[in-house]
Amino acid sequence: MAEVHVIGQIVGATGFSESSLFCKWGVHTGAAWKLLSGVREGQTQVDTPQIGDMAYWSHPIDLHFATKGLQGWPRLHLQVWSQDSFGRCQLAGYGFCHVPSSPGTHKLDCPTWRPLGSWREQLARAFVGGGPQLLHGDAIYSGADRYRLHTAAGGTVHLDLGLLLRHFDRYGVEC
Amino acid sequence: MDPKEEKMKIITEEVMENDEDADAGREKTAKAHRPRRKRQLRTAGPAEMVSGRADLGGPQEAAPEDPDPNTQLLGVSARRGPRSLPPIPSASRTGFAEFSMRERMREKLQAARSKAESALLQEMPTPRPRRLRGPGEKDLETEFGTEPGGGTQRTPREDDPQAHARVKFRDSARKIKSKPPVPPGFPSAEEAYNFFTFSFDPEPEESEEKTKVRSRDGANQEEEEGEGEEPPVRGANETDEEELLRGKDAEDFLLGLDPAAEDLVAVRPADYDGARVRLQKEKELLFTPSRLTVPTYKKLPENVQPRFLEDEGLYVGTRPAVPRTTQNIVENRLLMQDPDRKWFGDDGRILALPNPIKPFPARPPALTQGQGVNAELETLYKKAVRYVHRSQHMIGSGDPPGNFQLDIDISGLIFTHHPCFSREHVLAAKLAQLYDQYLARRQRNKAKFLSDKLQALRNAVQTGLDPAKTQKSIDITQKAINEYKSEIRQTRKLRDVEQEKDRTLLKTIIKVWKEMKSLREFQRFTNTPLKLVLRKEKVDQKADAEAYEAEIQAEVSELLEELSEEHEQRMEEYRAAYQQWKAWKKAQRAKKKKKKHAAEEHPEEEGEEPLPGEGPVKPVPPEPPSGAVLEQQVRERAARSRRRPGEPTLVPELTLAGSVTPNDQCPRVEVLRREDVKRRSVYLKVIFNGKEVSRTEVRPLGADFRVHFGQIFNLQIVNWPESLTLQVYETVGHSGTTLLAEVFLPIPESTVVSGRAPTEEVEFSSTQHVTLDHEGVGSGVPFSFEADGSNQLILMTSGKVSNSVAWAIGENGIPLIPPLSQQSIGFRSALKRADAISSIGASGLTDMKKLAKWAAESKLDPNDPSNGPLMQLISVATSGESYVPGFFRLEQLQQEFNFVSDEELNRSKRFRLLHLRSQEVPEFRNYKQIPAYDREIMEKVFQDYEKRLRDRNVIETKDHVDGHRAVVAKYLQQVRESVLNRFLIAKRHFLLTDLIVEEEVPNISSEGSGILGLSLFKLAEQKRPLRPRRKGRKKVTAQNLSDGDIKLLVNIIRAYDIPVRKPAAGKFQQPARSSRTFGEKRAASPPAHSSPAPSADYPLGQVLVRPFVEVSFQRTICHTTTAEGPNPSWNEELELPFRAPNGDYSMTSLQSVKDDVFINIFDEVLYDISEDDRERGSGTHTRIERHWLGCVKIPFSTIYFQARIDGTFKIDIPPVLLGYSKERSVILERGFDPVRSLSEGSYITLFITIEPQLVPGEPVREKFDSQEDEKLLQATEKFQAECALKFPNRQCPATVLDLSGKTVFVTRYLKPLNPPPELLEAHPNNPQATAELVARYVSLIPFLPDSVSFAGICDLWSTSDQFLDLLAGDEEEHAVLLCNYFLSLGKKAWLVMGNAIPEGPTAYVLTREQSHYLIWNPCSGHFYAQFDTFCPLKSVGCLIGPDNIWFNIQRYDSPLRINFDVTKPKLWKSFFSRSLPYPGLSSVQPEELVYQGSDKAAAAELQDRIEKILKEKIMDWRPRHLTRWNRYCTSTLRHFLPLLEASRGAGVEDDHRAELLRQLGDYRFSGFPLHMPYSELKPLIEAVYSTGVHNIDVPSVEFALAVYVHPYPKNVLSVWIYVASLIRNR
Repeated sequence: MAEVHVIGQIVGATGFSESSLFCKWGVHTGAAWKLLSGVREGQTQVDTPQIGDMAYWSHPIDLHFATKGLQGWPRLHLQVWSQDSFGRCQLAGYGFCHVPSSPGTHKLDCPTWRPLGSWREQLARAFVGGGPQLLHGDAIYSGADRYRLHTAAGGTVHLDLGLLLRHFDRYGVEC
Repeated sequence: MDPKEEKMKIITEEVMENDEDADAGREKTAKAHRPRRKRQLRTAGPAEMVSGRADLGGPQEAAPEDPDPNTQLLGVSARRGPRSLPPIPSASRTGFAEFSMRERMREKLQAARSKAESALLQEMPTPRPRRLRGPGEKDLETEFGTEPGGGTQRTPREDDPQAHARVKFRDSARKIKSKPPVPPGFPSAEEAYNFFTFSFDPEPEESEEKTKVRSRDGANQEEEEGEGEEPPVRGANETDEEELLRGKDAEDFLLGLDPAAEDLVAVRPADYDGARVRLQKEKELLFTPSRLTVPTYKKLPENVQPRFLEDEGLYVGTRPAVPRTTQNIVENRLLMQDPDRKWFGDDGRILALPNPIKPFPARPPALTQGQGVNAELETLYKKAVRYVHRSQHMIGSGDPPGNFQLDIDISGLIFTHHPCFSREHVLAAKLAQLYDQYLARRQRNKAKFLSDKLQALRNAVQTGLDPAKTQKSIDITQKAINEYKSEIRQTRKLRDVEQEKDRTLLKTIIKVWKEMKSLREFQRFTNTPLKLVLRKEKVDQKADAEAYEAEIQAEVSELLEELSEEHEQRMEEYRAAYQQWKAWKKAQRAKKKKKKHAAEEHPEEEGEEPLPGEGPVKPVPPEPPSGAVLEQQVRERAARSRRRPGEPTLVPELTLAGSVTPNDQCPRVEVLRREDVKRRSVYLKVIFNGKEVSRTEVRPLGADFRVHFGQIFNLQIVNWPESLTLQVYETVGHSGTTLLAEVFLPIPESTVVSGRAPTEEVEFSSTQHVTLDHEGVGSGVPFSFEADGSNQLILMTSGKVSNSVAWAIGENGIPLIPPLSQQSIGFRSALKRADAISSIGASGLTDMKKLAKWAAESKLDPNDPSNGPLMQLISVATSGESYVPGFFRLEQLQQEFNFVSDEELNRSKRFRLLHLRSQEVPEFRNYKQIPAYDREIMEKVFQDYEKRLRDRNVIETKDHVDGHRAVVAKYLQQVRESVLNRFLIAKRHFLLTDLIVEEEVPNISSEGSGILGLSLFKLAEQKRPLRPRRKGRKKVTAQNLSDGDIKLLVNIIRAYDIPVRKPAAGKFQQPARSSRTFGEKRAASPPAHSSPAPSADYPLGQVLVRPFVEVSFQRTICHTTTAEGPNPSWNEELELPFRAPNGDYSMTSLQSVKDDVFINIFDEVLYDISEDDRERGSGTHTRIERHWLGCVKIPFSTIYFQARIDGTFKIDIPPVLLGYSKERSVILERGFDPVRSLSEGSYITLFITIEPQLVPGEPVREKFDSQEDEKLLQATEKFQAECALKFPNRQCPATVLDLSGKTVFVTRYLKPLNPPPELLEAHPNNPQATAELVARYVSLIPFLPDSVSFAGICDLWSTSDQFLDLLAGDEEEHAVLLCNYFLSLGKKAWLVMGNAIPEGPTAYVLTREQSHYLIWNPCSGHFYAQFDTFCPLKSVGCLIGPDNIWFNIQRYDSPLRINFDVTKPKLWKSFFSRSLPYPGLSSVQPEELVYQGSDKAAAAELQDRIEKILKEKIMDWRPRHLTRWNRYCTSTLRHFLPLLEASRGAGVEDDHRAELLRQLGDYRFSGFPLHMPYSELKPLIEAVYSTGVHNIDVPSVEFALAVYVHPYPKNVLSVWIYVASLIRNR
């Protein structure tokens, strides 16, 4: 019956070669977790940085979980997309990170990657846009044999998350 | 000693062997130097041990002394010392030696000290490392201790080039010195250094050392001679040896340093030892471990048996593979080196960790293009596409719940024929089949059933024949009996057939069994365990025989009866035939006679006379039925089909108890067959929609040709399954698989869910032809049982698969069945939706089989803890249990680690509350500040919610006085919910403008929106401070508001034509003194008074009326000051706070606020209550009474949507206002006569708005599906776009939504519909009156704005019958109904869409009378002439007729200024025109409206209830006063109300007043009737409350309340409430 509040924001992203970025995010939890309020997933606006190369989204995340166990601690998966000048969207990176497990504020940097695809696809991506995407989004945080996946590094997504934990001590979890 | 060192040791051994010059090693860096030396020492001992024998030749005298306990003690003590106390070597010898050694050392130490000064200086700055390194190196200590030994070993080489050695040695010495820690009590580093750098005289050591070597050799020799492994002895030896070594080491240093002290340099020839010598020396030095296997006992402590953990069942990992010889060498060395045997385990082997190396190379398989990529990791190249859809959410949201599951349980496979069947098997299969058939038959037991039926029928016939019992007409019974009899016949036949079948079946079984037995005997072996046992059930012979006999007799008698009947019939026939024949015969005879006459001459012809075919044959009389023959027949049949009496019942029992002949007793061919069977195995593939989804395990074919799988496959599917197939594969040995057959499984009905599905057997057969070279009969090949090959049979492989297919049930009990219309769209998203667990689970399922197989093949150690979960899984998967966990890796131990159980989590009130709040459940939507602890949350918080959930389908009649309305309310609620859900999604779609407010750039050029241009122009405009204009305000979105932020501003400006007081009892009696109003006495002259005096009745100076306005909203009341006169001007602004329900200020919530703003106009009457005139001089005692005059009611939703309401409204004044009259004289006062005369009534000018201005909800911009023609829809869009372009403010709804949310063309709503016949009959001759009555009827249907029922969503139009059923609707429904009625009355009527006050956009009805147009307000029933100024309709957007729409394209839209002639295309733009002719749209309205008659009784009941409730309410509202009811007055009023209804409130006032005055003469009376349509009770109560009748607190006041409910057809109720207060005049 412990509770976890995750309050924070997706600040932005750096290091992407693309410019107009937006981010889809989602929180995945184990079966022991129950979302009391807040939205599990969302999508930011498209930010086109004018100064510097950091795209700022400042997208709020506010989740309130109840849990009956530690398994399946919330994890955050991100998809960074870029929008080109024609308004077309293409994948810029997948990212994954765990929500921190200690209370307080945390600055997280979540590096991202994207599937590379065959040389033809790479070529196509370079010239006409688009690009290989995971067929199943959950491969971001699950699946075996991931070595089969050839990826290229994307940029980093920056998050500020604040955590409030409640009643964990009651069940012998120190935090 | 760690393995690394060992290894290095081995290396150094080699080095020592190969390298001639030992010093070469020393010359290397100090680092290399040190370890090497260590190694030397270590190997030195054993080497000597081995080579010791060679040295035995010259034994020294000291040897026997060696085991001396004393020395040993010393040795032990010295053991700690050697690194610091150099002179140890002698210590083990004798006291003397030790002494001399020490002496010498001390001397040398002294001498060397000075020499070492310089080196010391160098050394000093780095003392730290020593300290630091010291403590950690325990083993180094001992190593170091033995180190000197190495030195001593090298004594023979002391004549090395000294200069070399010296330089090097200093280095090494320094190094060594830095190594050891300095334990307390030992010489300091400095001392040690001094000591080592001191040069000693080497001579005396020589001999001593030798002796030591000898002695040690001796000891070793002892050991080797089998002295035993006694640890103490060995320990002694070793210590001894070590001491020795240490001594030598010390010496070595000394020697090495020797030259340093020398000044003289001598040149000597290179020293060379011959190879042999060197080898010999090496033998002395080196220890070479033996390669022989060490016996186990040596490696174990004494008297300990080796213990093998593996045998005890504990897990022991695989040891790394090491060559045996290497192991032996290591073991040998360890034995020598480590006396504790700590390197050996319990089993006597060297301790070893499990082999860490994977058994296979870890290189991942090369990724070949296009294959081998896991399904989850697959990527898809997607083109960069524009984002068009709004609702692409994150992974997996909004997808339909797409996971469906089909459970396929394959329990087993039975071959009914198989190529490997032997002949016996064929028979056995046949037998089994027959037996199955028998069992099935026996279970059905049809023969028994039929016998019983027969019995019952016979009984029935018996009773039917019984004359005593049958009182009924004989015909009927006879008929029935006949029927029974025929039934009996049928049944008997059936029974006989059944019995015969049973018997033949039994016979066949026995026959086949006999065949089988003979076959077994013939072939002299048994293949099948089948055994047929015939159980005889004894029967009571006598009883049986009797029953048998009785049965036969019964049958015979019945048959006899039947036959006799038949016989009778036949006889009849016969007689007829006979007659015929006779007649013929006669004729014939007559003919004959004639002929005879004629043919007397030809007598020979006579013989031919009776020609056979000529006439009818003489009929043979039918034989009468003979009982005996019949009985004979019956008996025969019985014998054939039935058990003979007394014959025991045979019950065959097929068992598998028989034994199969073991292989060795079988002939070769049979053995071959059996082996062939063994080699065969079978598995099934599950093919779903043509794709293999899983397969069973490969199971060997049993000797009985049964295969048991017992596996359940959970197919997680997304689509509706097209086909489900099982493929039976057979594997023969290793030669590959063949597809035997395909079994098509039926897809289960959606009602078949797992757990309830029966196991079905599906048969299959194969066409394969197999010929085998052994006993197997093959398949598709003829074979025979006979020896001669006759009677051939051809059998095909066939069998049965027993399986069950069912839909799985989800967690919440919902079967996971896809909807039938499921398309394949959702496929990908549904997969996406599957989260990690299920995706792993899904792939894991298929993997699991492979996994289990692999595990079985690779012989995984089941005891290995790391294999634990896997083995568990495999055991579950292979045990054939039905439960296969979907996933095994994730959250495997979830249960164990849970803090709390699910139930507890769900019980938590706090969580529940939070969850409900976030779900926006209405009760909790704006619940603020949920308590932090469960205990602080009251249980009753949920009560309402739970009650609502419970009552969802229960119709509550408590709140609704009338049952029908309760049903309607429920229905409305349901429609509302479903519609809300539909729109909820649509509401989430945002457009850019929803998110971003972009101020328009000022633009001079454009006319309409050219703010800049206009404002520039405005700047120049003349300011008129006395005529202020309202400024636009900024709109506020509702989200940040809280209680008290929103205020309702009501600006009351003025009123016209307020009713004025009438002297209450003018005609009948003198006004009582106390009833004179206070105002009368005042000499003041209000403006109204300046006008010409009213009628003579009025006393001079009397104020006609002193009205004030009270605004009540949400039970907050504000009122203006009191003005005077019938045309008061207040010009006051009232501020009322607004509270949203539950504090929820969201748009949806605000839209659904149902509160009304009541604007009540009161007359303030002052009464002087001074009892006598004496007080009058000193003070005034007045009582203020207020008399309600009328009200205006404006729903909040109107204000909300309109943002402001500005205009003059008609005051709703009750038809009878006792004590007041509309002042006719007023007409004289002002100049509005023409206008005023047209519309009687009072008016009030208001301005209402909300501060801050709220953003009203926008209609949903969603395109709804429609059944309209696509062309029509396009035309509609075009038309609307054109209209909007020209006049954006005029509304023109061409299409509307019906109740089911579909777009419907608006003209379809208009169609002549019959009004209730009662209304038509009321005024048969007066069409105008009828029209008014109809309008009234329509207005009596309660008004319920759509925006309230369907909060903020859109306008839904219900058809007229729906409207009448619901009895609630807004303007459109009223208008449509009214318009339809008018159409049916033969009027020309249109729907007017426009703006009105206070409703805003609304619908009115326009009718064309002979010369003029009338505008009808459908909600109030009033009508207005076109040029009526007070017509609430302010603008006209369009007219809608039954067949066209006309859009107003005139310049003005006010009804006063427009022309309603729709035939003029310049004024009205019509939708259907020549280019688009009216297609003849069918109406959505019903053909005819059906009206139930009014239910008077229900109305009366309702009337009583309303009255009772209202009385209670009034008493509730007066908590501090006594409320008396004047019964007399009440009854008077009650009589009066029906009159009002009849006259619709007109023209009865005077009579009424007279009546009342006559009856209640001595009361001062104020009261009025209220009239309302009936919807619920609440508005009635609210209306009564708003009049404030209950506010009178005169102690003597009495009340009267009467209610009248007039029922109209279709349950439309008109409610009249008469409230009055009476004060007795004194």
